[in-house]
Amino acid sequence: MKRRTLLTAAVAAWMLLPAAAASAEEMVFASWGGAYQEAIRKAWLEPFAKASGVKFEEDTGPETAKIKAMVETKSVTWDIVTAGGGGLMRGVAQGLFEPITAEMVNQSDVLDGAKNAYGVPSEIFSTLIGFSTKAFPAGGAQPKTFADFFDVAKFPGKRTLPDKPETVLEAALLADGVPAGDVYKTLSTDAGMKRALDKIAALKPNVAVWWSSGAQPVQALGAGDVVMALGWNGRFQAGMDSNLPIAMSWDQQIPQVGYFMIPKGAPNKAAAVKFLNFILKPEINAELSRHVAYGPATKGAWSHIDAKRAERLPSTAERLKNALFLDIEWWAKNGAKATEAYTAMIKG
Amino acid sequence: MAIPEPPPARPSPAAVPAVAGVPAFAGIPAVAGMPVRPARRLGGWLGLLPMAVLLTAAFAVPVVSLLRLGFGDGGLSFEHFRRIAEVPLYRSILATTLTISALTTLLCVVLSYPVAYLMATVGPRLRAVLVVVVLLPFWTSSLVRTTAWIVILQGNGILNKLLMGVGLTSEPVAFVYNLSGVLIGMTHVLMPFVVLPLYAALRALDLSTVQAAEGLGAGPATVFVRVVLPLTAPGAVAGATIVFMNAIGFYITPALMGGPAQTMISQVIADNVNRELNWGFAAALSTMLLGATLVIFMLFQRAFGLERLFSGAGTARSGEPFRLTSRGRSAGGVLTVVFGLLVAVFLIAPILVVFPMSLGSSPFLSFPPYDYSLRWYVNFFETSKWFNALIRSLQVAGLTVAGAVVLGTAAAIGLGRIPARWRTAIETLFVLPMIVPVIILAVGLYYLFAPTGLVGTIWGLAIGHTVLAAPYVFVTVRASLKSFDPSLELAALGLGASWATMARRILVPTILPGILAGAVFAFITSFDDVVLALFLTNIRTRTLPKLMYEGVAHEIDPTIIAAAGLIILVTILLMLVNLLVTRRRA
Repeated sequence: MKRRTLLTAAVAAWMLLPAAAASAEEMVFASWGGAYQEAIRKAWLEPFAKASGVKFEEDTGPETAKIKAMVETKSVTWDIVTAGGGGLMRGVAQGLFEPITAEMVNQSDVLDGAKNAYGVPSEIFSTLIGFSTKAFPAGGAQPKTFADFFDVAKFPGKRTLPDKPETVLEAALLADGVPAGDVYKTLSTDAGMKRALDKIAALKPNVAVWWSSGAQPVQALGAGDVVMALGWNGRFQAGMDSNLPIAMSWDQQIPQVGYFMIPKGAPNKAAAVKFLNFILKPEINAELSRHVAYGPATKGAWSHIDAKRAERLPSTAERLKNALFLDIEWWAKNGAKATEAYTAMIKG
Repeated sequence: MAIPEPPPARPSPAAVPAVAGVPAFAGIPAVAGMPVRPARRLGGWLGLLPMAVLLTAAFAVPVVSLLRLGFGDGGLSFEHFRRIAEVPLYRSILATTLTISALTTLLCVVLSYPVAYLMATVGPRLRAVLVVVVLLPFWTSSLVRTTAWIVILQGNGILNKLLMGVGLTSEPVAFVYNLSGVLIGMTHVLMPFVVLPLYAALRALDLSTVQAAEGLGAGPATVFVRVVLPLTAPGAVAGATIVFMNAIGFYITPALMGGPAQTMISQVIADNVNRELNWGFAAALSTMLLGATLVIFMLFQRAFGLERLFSGAGTARSGEPFRLTSRGRSAGGVLTVVFGLLVAVFLIAPILVVFPMSLGSSPFLSFPPYDYSLRWYVNFFETSKWFNALIRSLQVAGLTVAGAVVLGTAAAIGLGRIPARWRTAIETLFVLPMIVPVIILAVGLYYLFAPTGLVGTIWGLAIGHTVLAAPYVFVTVRASLKSFDPSLELAALGLGASWATMARRILVPTILPGILAGAVFAFITSFDDVVLALFLTNIRTRTLPKLMYEGVAHEIDPTIIAAAGLIILVTILLMLVNLLVTRRRA
């Protein structure tokens, strides 16, 4: 009996062990964990700590809802958070982020399509066509454009598309012959929206998977469940690097920008501003693409990237010629309605 | 991990053997007719109090403050509800949610009977193995489970290769990314909620009732329909209730294993909370879901008499526990055994592919792997974050089990002692945490905890998990209390035993199976939760599921498969040790 009591007490004591105490004076960086955050750590966080003496700490899971909760309860623990354009705009609409002025961070080197008053662009990634090289081997006809993606007669086989409308509506209109410059103008009309949805609806019988996680299209391509996917270049690249029978077409793409933001009421704002300036230095900015297949959003970085690495990146000057940047302001305004219509179309 | 035998048979002054076809709530006429004494009633309210306090403070307050947003910021507006009513999409998603939940519940009950029968009629060692088989799927994260299922079910997956190899089909069958995918995934993970109570009910079944029926000339089918079915119905109904409530809140499995036609409402709610930041609309959707579920729950109570079943279905067992009679297995029994084994294979299938997959070297999961390596296991042990997260998960789960068992058991015992007219309402209120979408609770709790410094501690998370877990204990203990004969309690007290002695020697042993089943469910609830952890922990207190979900929007880190593999390995080793020890003792 005594031994059991002792054991119970030991277990109870262990349960009550406090988490390690936080040390003072640092900058807290919160992102999505995994390989992405590891790349940022190696490319930017560790060099920054070395150069500036600012200690950094990391956290994960900067869900926009959690940022909102932190800001509203005045319990912000993060100094830098990361998000895609959609997250940035929705946060801005709710006043969750500090404005980033030219005095704070000099963004003159940033690409025009990537500039934003509340965020510093960290990288550019693209939505494009990935396909199975078993179904469409080199030497034969391989899909190149979004029109090819929607052309089941020319390239038969199952497809996979995102279960959210971002990039899909754009790709559908581009495939239907709308010039890149007119895509958002067209989408803003009811007829244009219907045109995009009809184009996708016509492809529906050939869609095997509507993916919700970026890993799914690669899995489906690798397993042979689909022959073509609309997905992210970084994921296709990872599959190719693991010798899966996959290739992607750079002939047409919809680039998106990832951003770093400062939540309103961040405890170490000064350090965060220093960090944002640090990552925009051309030689530093170029470093991230060493670790992940995402391109820099600045012009200066390219002089520090060799041709071999550039081959894997979406934001080379050459490739951006065929690119339609995702218009995050359009999505901030029309996203909820578009998502409703898109969900109804794929569900119906 | 073994489910204990039901308590030893004991003489019961009021044992009226249940007769086939007669609902058995006539079990204890002497006591049922007695007025509830005031002291007993006070004790009942006291038992309910702790859980009521927890649910008020850490559930009602945060959830209501968020759901209020559905009626507009500040003034009263029905804008969000109008949108729900006007856009047909939301009605169809609600209908889909209820249909999928109902189908899952049905499948769970139907598939659980053969397994529970198998467990009740085999030797103790095989039974221990079966318990592990039933519970193992829980030990792995939902992410690992769904990944394994997709590897099995996809177009070029294991099952299709098997079917085409045997020549049963010539074309790959679409098992996944459609309704069958969702049903397979959900039934698989929810089945234990029915199997365990059903097994407990079967074991509590008095063998003499079966023998009496057989003696009177009833065939196996009649015995099942008129004796076994009515007497095990409370267990099945308790389990089915849990499954249905739980299924309504699912969104990870349908998102990964279903197609767009299987979009469930919790996905839309989570999207509006997290992505669109449209909390008002999310609140309105949650309110609608809550309303619909409550209506169904009450209809269910009325149709099946949940309260009646819970409160008085069982008789105090006086005879031998249920097992095979001397007649051996009938043809139907043999068929049931075969079917039970097939269901067991279904339950264990994803586990069987997790191991080989975890030994692959490619970051893209495949089965069988192209080449083998221990890369992901090395990764697990080399980076401290995995092990730390596992420890945190176990700490939080330990706290949750302790809290949920104490509160849930006290409340279940208390409920039987208060006037009957209050019971249905309280019972409904106490199972609400099962119905409200977890993300609503998560956001609400963040606001509640932020000023107190509980955010980012394991305590805050444990409180949240206890809110989710206590209802399971409440329901399972409530179901097991039905076989507790209150006259025994009165007898013990009348003979001079203190209430504590009575509880320790009579009450607790009787309801122990219910408590243990509830504890298992509480553990699982905590050990598998992602959503609360996402909001209430930080990098120092993150749990294993939260770590597993990090970066999942981009990639699946195969280390999670290794982590799952290790957990399974440890469980199986513990089971083997347990088996060896019991064999030596025997």
